[in-house]
Amino acid sequence: MQSARNEILERLRAAPKTKIPVRPFMPPLKEVSLDKEELVNQFTEMLTAETGIVYRVKNNDQALEKLTEIAKQEGLKGVMVSTDDVATSLDLPAWGSKTGVKVMSAKDFNGRDEFRDAVFDRVEAGITGIDFAVAESGTLGLIHDKDQARLVSLAPILHIAIVPVERVFPVYETVIESVFNQEKLPSQFVFITGPSMTGDIEGHLFKGMHGPRKVIVILIG
Amino acid sequence: MKISTEKFTELAKKEVEKARARPFLKMVPHSLYQKRKAGLATLPDAAAAQAYGAAIRSEAINRLPELLEEFEKKATANGAKVFWARTAKEAREYIVNLASERGAKFVIKGKSMVTEEIGLNEALSDHGIEPWEADLGEFIIQQMHRPPFHIVGPAINVPVEEIRDLFMAKGIMKEPTLDPVALGWAARRFLREKFHRAEFGVTGVNMAVAETGTIINLENEGNIRFAKSSPRTQVSVMTLEKVVPTMKDAMHLIRLLSRNCSGQNISAYVSMDSGPKQDGEIDGPEELIIVIVDNGRSGIYQDPKARDALRCIRCAACLNICPVYRQIGGYAYGWVYSGPMGQVLMPLLLGLDKTQDIYRACSLCGACKSVCPAGIDHPALFLYYRSLDVSTDHSFKGKRRPWREALFFKAWSMAVQRFWIWDTGISVTRPFINKNSENGVIHNMKGAFGGWFRKRDLPPMAEKTFHEKWEEIKKTR
Repeated sequence: MQSARNEILERLRAAPKTKIPVRPFMPPLKEVSLDKEELVNQFTEMLTAETGIVYRVKNNDQALEKLTEIAKQEGLKGVMVSTDDVATSLDLPAWGSKTGVKVMSAKDFNGRDEFRDAVFDRVEAGITGIDFAVAESGTLGLIHDKDQARLVSLAPILHIAIVPVERVFPVYETVIESVFNQEKLPSQFVFITGPSMTGDIEGHLFKGMHGPRKVIVILIG
Repeated sequence: MKISTEKFTELAKKEVEKARARPFLKMVPHSLYQKRKAGLATLPDAAAAQAYGAAIRSEAINRLPELLEEFEKKATANGAKVFWARTAKEAREYIVNLASERGAKFVIKGKSMVTEEIGLNEALSDHGIEPWEADLGEFIIQQMHRPPFHIVGPAINVPVEEIRDLFMAKGIMKEPTLDPVALGWAARRFLREKFHRAEFGVTGVNMAVAETGTIINLENEGNIRFAKSSPRTQVSVMTLEKVVPTMKDAMHLIRLLSRNCSGQNISAYVSMDSGPKQDGEIDGPEELIIVIVDNGRSGIYQDPKARDALRCIRCAACLNICPVYRQIGGYAYGWVYSGPMGQVLMPLLLGLDKTQDIYRACSLCGACKSVCPAGIDHPALFLYYRSLDVSTDHSFKGKRRPWREALFFKAWSMAVQRFWIWDTGISVTRPFINKNSENGVIHNMKGAFGGWFRKRDLPPMAEKTFHEKWEEIKKTR
């Protein structure tokens, strides 16, 4: 018996051919002609519209101060942090011992099950750096790898994202080009735009359906 | 899921009489339509963007075999496993076996239409593996054993009282409430435990990118991201037409899909997988299995006209604008797909014989076509299906109409092609119709055409036909 694969593909190949249409002209998005500062403003505006909270600070020290403020406001006792380059540059474990917030990262755990127990039940926030921010829609772009575990930005009820301003780009295509134009692709790349939500019960908007109820962005620079 | 597409007319009549769904149908599709309009207006040229989307989908369908091969090659190189299934049965048996082999006690599911099409949940349950739908709407209808009312908001018509009773009966919450937010929290807490312990996740696929072997999912809740992050095994099921040429094309379709669906610029989460987790990653699947389902589509593909139905990206814009859907909602369509997109797909998937009323339940107003980001010409397809049906075309199981209807149209076609029959007919019928006229309007008539007057009037027929008048005018000059 022929394999399902070959059978399906052969049937498709044997079908009559049609003409491939010419791609029509489409004007570019306005974001591609914005300057750096305008992009940051646009990013902030779009994310705020999606109920994201955006703070802008000048440097890492100020970012840590802001973080302390947020920790107090939100009553954070334990946080799960990523170990990506942005988060690492803040030395969050040191911040934790100073402020009394228990800072954990995936590296502290022996395997998936231990990590899941902690990220689901023992932290009130996930803190991550990001790889890209997109002005077009106030979107965060995260490459998942050994330093950016998937559940950190997903399982806790609060996601705090640290965004260096030089990582704000105009449109999705700019970002995609640099993520997907390489030999080894990331196992997962994700766009996050605001908190998790649903309208499934009579159309009522409910934030925090499965993922974070709140997304806070600290823009540095 | 039981298929009841043959009972469309009967079900539609029942749905129209259901008072409870009425306020919903008056509001939600309209408000989604308004949101869509506002969303599209954020693009510099919405019409050009829609046309560009149609060109992408047209090219994808055109190059289908070649793109599928490329996708498979790249996805495999990324470390994913690709399984091809000829039929729904092959697909669900493969997934059920895999789940058994992996020792899964339950399966966590991200929202997907294709797993409903292949009847995966029933098959899993039959083998003692619990399927948990994790999208809130899907979760509700799964517990209620109902079909989706709307492909995007499957339970959006279910009143809070029913959800309260359901959640109390199933032990999902302890204290009764009618607050939609509290109901949402109860579902969150319940499903969170499932996400936490999940070892086997199943999702659908919105787009499969040939260029990179990447699968893409759009969602707002996070159920799909959880199903792709927490378990050790991830199975993502796609029908074969989901493939698109490039990542750039996918980005444009993300813009269009989000806007056409809910008016959002982009859905809250877009996750793009290229292979399973890599060394050192603590979460994400150890194995990523992509199931490509044919289930009749390679047959549909043989017909260059009918294959246009495969362009659909499931945005549901056509449901929200359709005057028929707006009256009857999603249940009457009798299967997983509803509204115009269901009306173009189901006849091909199930056969023209089993869906005769489905592709006739349309006034050909063209509203669906006018909003479609994939460039599907729904009314043209309905006319095509009707013609295949009356000519008993074999490939899609055309059935022919009842003899009375066939005879009527034969007589009609004879009459309208011969003006002496037409003229005689007119002068014979005119007095019978016009005798119902009151002050120049016909409000009601007895007999076969009575139904017309439930919501409309008819002007009386003119005393003289145009030809008769023309003859008179010619004489006087």
